[in-house]
Amino acid sequence: MPKKILIIDDDPVIVKYLMAIFSDNGYATCSAGSSMEGLDLVKKEKPDLICLDIQMPGEWGPRFYRKLRKDKEVKDIPIIVVSGIDGDHAVKNAVAFVKKPFDPEKLIGIVKNTIG
Amino acid sequence: MLVDDEEGIRKVLGISLTDLGYQVLTAENGEEALEIFRRENPPIVLTDIKMPVMDGIELLRKIKDESSDTEVIMITGHGDMDLAIKSLKYRAIDFVTKPINDDILEIALGRAHEKIHMRQKLRGYTENLESLVQEKSAQLVEIERQVAVGQAVEGLASMLRNLAGDLEGGLTYFNEMPCFVSIHNPKLKVIAVNQLYRDRLGDKVGRNSWEVYGDKAGTRSQCPVAETFKTGKGQRTRASIKYADDQEAPVIIHTAPIRNQSKEVELVVEISADITEVNRLQEELRQTQQRYQQLFDEVPCYVSLQDRQYRLLATNRRFNDDFDVELGAYCYEVYKHRDEPCPNCPVAKTFEDGRSHQSEMVVTPKSGEQCNVLIWTAPIRDADGEITRVMEMSTDITQIRELQDHLSSLGLKISSISHGIKSLLTGIDGGVYLVESGLTKDDPDRVKEGWDAVKTIVQRIRKLVLNILFFAKEREFKPEATDVLNFAYDVAASVESKINAAGVGLDRDFDTGQGEVQMDSGVVRLALINILENALDACLEDTAKKSHRIVFSVKRDKNKIVFEVKDNGIGMDRETRESLFTLFFSSKGNKGTGLGLFIANKIVAQHGGKIKVDSKPKRGSSFMITIPMKLTG
Repeated sequence: MPKKILIIDDDPVIVKYLMAIFSDNGYATCSAGSSMEGLDLVKKEKPDLICLDIQMPGEWGPRFYRKLRKDKEVKDIPIIVVSGIDGDHAVKNAVAFVKKPFDPEKLIGIVKNTIG
Repeated sequence: MLVDDEEGIRKVLGISLTDLGYQVLTAENGEEALEIFRRENPPIVLTDIKMPVMDGIELLRKIKDESSDTEVIMITGHGDMDLAIKSLKYRAIDFVTKPINDDILEIALGRAHEKIHMRQKLRGYTENLESLVQEKSAQLVEIERQVAVGQAVEGLASMLRNLAGDLEGGLTYFNEMPCFVSIHNPKLKVIAVNQLYRDRLGDKVGRNSWEVYGDKAGTRSQCPVAETFKTGKGQRTRASIKYADDQEAPVIIHTAPIRNQSKEVELVVEISADITEVNRLQEELRQTQQRYQQLFDEVPCYVSLQDRQYRLLATNRRFNDDFDVELGAYCYEVYKHRDEPCPNCPVAKTFEDGRSHQSEMVVTPKSGEQCNVLIWTAPIRDADGEITRVMEMSTDITQIRELQDHLSSLGLKISSISHGIKSLLTGIDGGVYLVESGLTKDDPDRVKEGWDAVKTIVQRIRKLVLNILFFAKEREFKPEATDVLNFAYDVAASVESKINAAGVGLDRDFDTGQGEVQMDSGVVRLALINILENALDACLEDTAKKSHRIVFSVKRDKNKIVFEVKDNGIGMDRETRESLFTLFFSSKGNKGTGLGLFIANKIVAQHGGKIKVDSKPKRGSSFMITIPMKLTG
């Protein structure tokens, strides 16, 4: 069974892009356009990794992260931050920070190192 | 008096004495001599010792008893030394021996004379001592008095100086002002003068009161001091004064009587001020005042003087130029068209604590264009140190604020745009990736998906670039007569296809007959399209309702045109509504540039119009854009 990656980003083009990259590398994907939606999906889908944007309408990525950390069941899911802004400190314990625009090879490399 | 029993001696000696310049009386014995002595009282007696009836010693004793001042010279024969010494004991002045040597006689007489003179002098001294003491002590009193008066004069002068210094708030004009102070006695003599008088006019103490003046004031009978003694009243007159260096200058002379305990005028104080100097100082003062007035008027600030009720007591020209100022009007009325004092009024604070305060406010001048002013206040105190007025200076910092806005928004813009561009690049990467991988995998759906993504991104890039260009470029404002109805149809047409393509309906609700309006139609169209597109986005965001409509209406309200864009989309909460027009505010995440409404608002404001927003979350929003038909200002 392929590992599942949850993509949270408000830009549908980027969601589509990330989904294509991950599925081309043999991962299952699901996506959310906001952090609220993302929080629901985390519980439902139990992804192996979360790919999180920082700046989104409504709740931003960091708040999503804090809420996530409060839920014991899902708090240890690794997170990769993919964002256009420099938010290194905004999400503690993130596996990696990938700045847009990113190199797909590099992103896949990080994902592979994290979840195999 | 010559006393000898021998007639020959009386004769010879008598001739010698007469030759020496004496008036000579003679007697042949002591008894006769005493008789003549008592009658004639001669100062010097020359007597033989050995005589019948009464000898010389007896005569000496009697004379000395009766008149100790009379000097007696004894004449002795040879070997009468005992008698001679005895006679000295009885206070004879000297003795001469027979035969009489003229030289020795002269010495003896000289001694007698000296003694008499000394005694007379001594007596004179003794007798005069009392009157001398009186005279000298009177002199002393006079000197003391003069010193005291002199001190009083200097004291008065310095007091006047200090007084003037206090009055002028530290200006030292009075110190420079030549004020000649002198004191005069009833004999019209100067008895004391101040230092300046001495320096410029010479030391006139003891001289006549009128001496330094020309004209009438320079005469004995009509000089101001004389007038004051005559009338007992202070005088004020003009005259010319003669300086020690022979120059003349006009002066104003003031005099004042000084009365003693019995109310008689004892002394007169005279103060003369050089008018040329006064004139010069007045001129200087006038120029200084003029400079202050000029400064007051020309300074690039609004300056006003206010009382505790915030009434304007004085305003500078700039203030008068830019505001409708009526003296006595209230500051808050004039500046801000308010009915009551502003909260946080810096003037009020200054009245309270006496310090300067600063504040920034937005005020509305005559032109109607609001401006930001930086206000600075300063207390103005009266002589008692009470704050009676506050000066307020307001500097127009609108341009600085605008520049600041521009700069900070530039910084914001750069960071925001760089973020937006990163997203766009990522999007293009995504589109390219999808197209490429679709081609490789021979998956036409994926290729199409990728291509759509590319097209979307290109659209967004276009919008962003156009907005940035609009924002960055100083666009000239070009209003022109525009037919409102045509314009509205035009705007609607340019967005209709996009709206309909998204499955949203667009209703036109145009009143006919609005006529023409003065506006820069190009930019207003941009603003309206921006708002219409926002409405479309709001509809698309909303997933709760089945169908969405946008109503675009145009109405005339008196002399204004009102455009309204109403949607039943997602709506906004209050915070969103309030920050709508802020630069780079976007509720659309990466899809918005945060420039659209900021620019729309600027455009409408440029036309003297307003955008009013009404919205409820989940119900929809309404944007009312009001533009005056005719531009004002």
